[in-house]
Amino acid sequence: MSSDLSKAIENLISDEQDVRAATSPYQAEFPYERDEEAQVTRREFCNFLVLTSTALFVGAAGFSAKAAIDASKTPVLPPMPIDGAAELQAGAAINFHYPGDETAILVRAKDGTYAAFGQKCTHLSCPVHYAKDHDRLECPCHEGGFDAKTGAVLYGPPPRPLDKIDIETHNGQIYAVGREVRGSEV
Amino acid sequence: MKFETTELRYKRVPAKAPLPRGRAAVWQARLVLLVMINLAQLWILSAAVDAALGHEFRHLLPLVIASGVCWLISVSIFFWWKPVGSRQSGSA
Repeated sequence: MSSDLSKAIENLISDEQDVRAATSPYQAEFPYERDEEAQVTRREFCNFLVLTSTALFVGAAGFSAKAAIDASKTPVLPPMPIDGAAELQAGAAINFHYPGDETAILVRAKDGTYAAFGQKCTHLSCPVHYAKDHDRLECPCHEGGFDAKTGAVLYGPPPRPLDKIDIETHNGQIYAVGREVRGSEV
Repeated sequence: MKFETTELRYKRVPAKAPLPRGRAAVWQARLVLLVMINLAQLWILSAAVDAALGHEFRHLLPLVIASGVCWLISVSIFFWWKPVGSRQSGSA
C-alpha cells in the first residue's frame, strides 16, 4: 500500500511523464536530465519559428514604411544667421547648430565659396572635421572622406553624402535656410 | 551509499513509442526549413535597415516583398506541410 502511495506521489511530482523513453544507445550512454529534454518540444520550437518569421516580416515592413514616410516629409526650417561666417578666412571652417541642436559645419573653400553640411558622418555619426591641407572633410573614426564643396563621398565606408545645409547671403550675412538629406544616388 | 545507475534511471521513465522514422524526418525537415527561412528574414531585415539608413528607398519594397514571401512559405510549412497519417502512408 505504501509503495503504491509513494509511486503515485512520485508520478505526481515528476515532470518526466510525457517524455519519450531513451530509444537510442547514445541516450543510455549520456545520462542527461530527462526534464531538460522536455522543456522544448519540436512542436513548440516550430511555433516559435513561425512567430519569429511573422515578427521579422512585420518588423521589416514597419521599419521600411516608417523610413519611407519620414523621408517623404519635408520640414520647413526657419532661416538662421551663422555667426562669424562673414569673417571666416578662405580655407577654414566653423561649427554651428542647425536646425536646433544638430551640429553642422560651414566650410569656406580656398576659392572663397561657402558650403555647409551636417557634421555627422553618414557611416556611424562621428563628427567630421575640415582638413585644410587636403581641402576635404574627414571622419577620424573610420577614415571616411568627403568633398568640401559638395559633401560627396571621396573614400572610406560612408554610404552616402553628408547632409547638405542650404545657405543664402543677405546683406553680407550668411543664413542657413534648410537641411537636405541625400541618398547615395546623388 | 547507493548511486543510481543510468540503467535504473531510464527504467523509471515510462516507455512511449518513438516517432516512426518517416514522421521524424518530416518534422526535422520542417524545422530545418523554418530555421533557414528565419535566417533569410534576419538578413532581409538587416538589409532593409541598412537601405533605409542609407536613404536608398528603391531597395525597400523588394526587400519587404521578399520578407513577405518568406513568411508565406513558413506559414504554408506550418499549416499545410505535415507528415501524412499512418493510414495514408500505409496504403501508399
